[in-house]
Formats: sequence, C-alpha cells, structure tokens
Amino acid sequence: MENFEFLRNVTIGQYFQGDSIIHRLDPRAKITILLILVVVNSFILSFTGNVLLLSLCIALVLMSGISFTFMLSGIKPALPLIVIFALMQLFFYGDAYPPYGMESVTYWRWGMMSITNGSIQLVIVTLMRFLEIFFLVSLLTSTTTTTNIAYAIESMLEPFQRLRVPAQEISLIGTIALRFVPIFAEQMEIIMKAQASRGADFGEGGVFQFVKRTRQMVTLIVPLFVDAFRRAEDLILAMDARCYTGGRGRTKIVRFRMRRIDYLFIALTAVFGILIMVFRNNFPV
Amino acid sequence: MSTRGRVVIQVNDLHHTYLSGTPLEVKALKGVTMEVYEGEVVGIIGRTGAGKSTIVQHFNGLIRNRERGRVIVDGHDMADPALDVRAIRQKVGLVFQHPEQQLFERLVGDDIAFGPKKMGLPPEVRRERVRWAMEMVGLDFEKFKDRFTFSLSGGEMRKVAIAGVLALQPKVLILDESTTGIDPRGRKELLGRVLNLNREHGVTLVFVSSNMEEVASIADRIYVIDDGRTVMHGSTREVFAQPEALRRYGLGVPHVTTVAHQLSQDGVAIPRVPLTVAEAEEDIWKILSS
Repeated sequence: MENFEFLRNVTIGQYFQGDSIIHRLDPRAKITILLILVVVNSFILSFTGNVLLLSLCIALVLMSGISFTFMLSGIKPALPLIVIFALMQLFFYGDAYPPYGMESVTYWRWGMMSITNGSIQLVIVTLMRFLEIFFLVSLLTSTTTTTNIAYAIESMLEPFQRLRVPAQEISLIGTIALRFVPIFAEQMEIIMKAQASRGADFGEGGVFQFVKRTRQMVTLIVPLFVDAFRRAEDLILAMDARCYTGGRGRTKIVRFRMRRIDYLFIALTAVFGILIMVFRNNFPV
Repeated sequence: MSTRGRVVIQVNDLHHTYLSGTPLEVKALKGVTMEVYEGEVVGIIGRTGAGKSTIVQHFNGLIRNRERGRVIVDGHDMADPALDVRAIRQKVGLVFQHPEQQLFERLVGDDIAFGPKKMGLPPEVRRERVRWAMEMVGLDFEKFKDRFTFSLSGGEMRKVAIAGVLALQPKVLILDESTTGIDPRGRKELLGRVLNLNREHGVTLVFVSSNMEEVASIADRIYVIDDGRTVMHGSTREVFAQPEALRRYGLGVPHVTTVAHQLSQDGVAIPRVPLTVAEAEEDIWKILSS
C-alpha cells in the first residue's frame, strides 16, 4: 500500500524541539564534536574500534531524548542502495582487503567473485561506519536549528576570512540547503498525491525494480524542479526586499558563548578520539 | 436543490493521526461524520488546519483509514487492504490547491492525457477524453493541445491541471481550495464551469473552500469542520443563517448575508437568508415594492 507520509522518512535536516543536554550544547561545540568523530570514523577499520564509536554515537542519541527507532527509520529509503553496495563489497572485494587482526580465509570462490573473511569484515565495518555518520549528522540537525548551525559554521570559518574564505556566504548556502529538505519533502508529498489522484501508481514495482520506479519518478521530478526554481526566485526577491547585501558588517541578535560543559564535551570527545586513533592498530579484532 | 439520490460517500466517526508514532505526531481528525449524495454539491468549510484536506484525501484513498471510523466510497470500504484504489481514483477525482504545480509533460494535450493513458485506454478514446476535458474547462482543443505546458499563463495552467483530472471522467469531483490564487474573473469562470459539470453531466461536487462567497454561491449543503470534528451541517441557507455559531469556528458568512442580518436587526424584514448579491437584490426589490 502506498504511503505518502514523506516526513516520516526524512530524519536528516529535521529539527526536534527539546531540552536535553545535547540540545543545549553550543552549536560550535556540536560541530567540533561531529568533526572529531567523523575523522575518527574514517580511520578505524577494526571491529573493536567501530563497536566503541557506534556505542558512543548511540549513547549520544539516547542522551538527546530523540526517539531512537524514529531516527533509525530515516535509513529506510536508502536501504536498497545499502544492500547493493554491501553485496558488491561482499563478492568483489574479497582479495582487495585483507582482514584486520585475522588470518585471511577464503570461504568461496567463483571466477572474479569470492567471499573471504576480509570481505565479510569489510561489509560489517562499512555498515557500522555508515550508521555512525548517519547518527552523528541526524543528531546534529535534529537537536540544532538551522540558524544555529549556520551561525556556528560562520563563526568557525571567521578566522579564515583573512584568507578570503566567504564564511558568511558558505554558511548561508548551507542553511538554505538544509532548510529546504523538509520543504521539498512536503512538496513532493503533495505532487505525488496529485499524480496518484490522476492515475500514477507509485506503489507498484518492488523496492528493487529501479527502472519502473525511476520512470514513475519523472512525473515528480519535473514539477519538483519547477517548484525549486520558483522558490529560489521568491527567496532572491525576499532577500533583496530585506536589503540583503552579503554578510559584511552584519550583527546578530543572539550571541553564543561557549560554557564549561561545551569545553568538557569537546575535551572528552577529543580524548576518546585520540585514544582510539593511537591504539587503532592494537585492537585484537 | 437536488432531490437526494444514492449516497456516494459516507464517512462515519473518522479519526486520523499524521506521522503516528513519531515525535511529529498530529491528531488531524477526531470524529468526522458526513455523507455525500449522488448529484449534489457539498461544501466543506472550516478554518485553516481544521482537517478539511485530510478528510477529502480519504475520499480517493490517498489516506487510508487505519484508526477509528469508516469511509465508504461508492459502496467500497476504504479500509479494505484488498481494495483497488486506482479504480476508486478514477471515480473520485481530486483537484488540489495550486494544481498547476502537478504539470510535467511538455505539451498540454499529453499532460491531460496522462490519466487516460494510465487507465490503459486506446489512443482514440484518450483523444476524445482530452477534447471533452478541455472543453469542460474552457480551453480550445485545437488551439491548446500542442502548446508548451510551461509557456501558459497561471490561469491556463490551472485549467490544464483540472482538465487532467476531468479526463478520468470521475463521478465525483473534489476541489480542495482549487480556486485560490486566481483573479476574481477567473474564479467566477471556473465556478461556473464546475457547476455546469454538476448540472449538465451529473458530476457530484465536493467543494472545499475558505471563501464563504464561493461556497454560498455553489453548494447545496454545507459541513462545517472544526478541530477535526463535524460541528455543523445543513443546507447552505440553514448554515449561513447562524453567523454567531460560524464566528465561533473562526468563519464568517458572505458579505451580503451580513448586510441582510443587519437589515433584519434594524427592522427590515427579509424573508430568507440571501446567499448571493442577486438573491439579496431580489429580496430588497420585493420589500421596496410592497
């Protein structure tokens, strides 16, 4: 049966009001923590390291008070893609990656395809790494308003302004992009309903029938693009009408100040990250 | 006033919650009961967020009721998972607010033909359907069928979009705020055209609007929805005879009706509640000439 409730699946970019400790952290602290953990994430290839990092991510999600199952449901639309990538890694990467911390064992081989304990490890570790990034990014956007994220990015880029980095513009682009994700999800829901009302069948075709599903999408993509351009034009007019002339000399009504708890969180994350990075080659598996 | 025919849509104590089980959960419907009879024009009014759109999306299966309540459309229980929803959508056409946003084909004719094509109709029949639908909304078939969709004016695009729904030849046509955002003349023309569909082609109309003048000029009966519940219903005249009650639900009455109420309070006895300027004119002439 068709389900048109798109917002149910868009968990990235959606802000949820709350008063948890994660909500109250300074947005700059949150972004710093995210960056540290993303760097850690890209370095660890072992089971142990990923279990540790994933546990930390889950702990952070639990601390934020946002429904864990709801956040997880955001992966659903990407699931077919994840499965395909996982299968490709499983069958074709057998020889490319020797397993970490184990003797290489080949379980099955047929022509170019093979399954080794290296490829199995790769699949599991990739999934865990994907989940970690997914949790971290969802967590940032669901506990921080887009304006605050933009403010944080801008303020963190400020030192680079001497090198002619357009900090304000970059943060503005980021904000607009994030802000429009739920708007387009909503618009897509409306258009999908309108097309279904005149005979389009979005429910048909299994999850893996890409061609059929892609063809159905044409009736959505064209109206969505038209809408996006229209909205962009409206936005330009609205900004112009409010005398937007770029970021130079702009002041803010809310000024953030880093508190002790913010530094504490960053410090703890940094210690965690450094420990994992230092010992990343010493884990048993 | 139409003589009551068969019930085409029956709604009983309908409940609906959006995004249930998520942090964004919203209870939209908390007990809506209404009927739509074959061949009539039903108006649904209520303030923004009252649940009007949610109700009508149940009528063609865009939202399926999984909670309390029943929706029966043309004899089919909409909660039945085995129901052929697409067949229902051919019988019940739904036009949204700003329907011109749903256009996607390069040529006008192709866009209108999308529905009939999906129904699997042969090209000849499709062509006839498109011709009929375009005639119904007032677009010349020969002149417009090969025009580029996105080169049309806003009003023309809206006509094309409505024709796209009409090409399914639905028995029931739902207009969900479909007249907002076009100029008064365009509105009047559109209202006249859908009313013609009802009178000449027997299409049952469900008209959702927050413009009281429009509803008054077109509807036989009215349902007032507030906070997800049916709070008032009756013939258009009965409903608009109660301006105080309507005001309680954030709604008004047509301007001429307000004037008539005021006149009655000032001692000028007006025999009925006028709904349109023409009716008021008639009544006032009668009083003046007696």
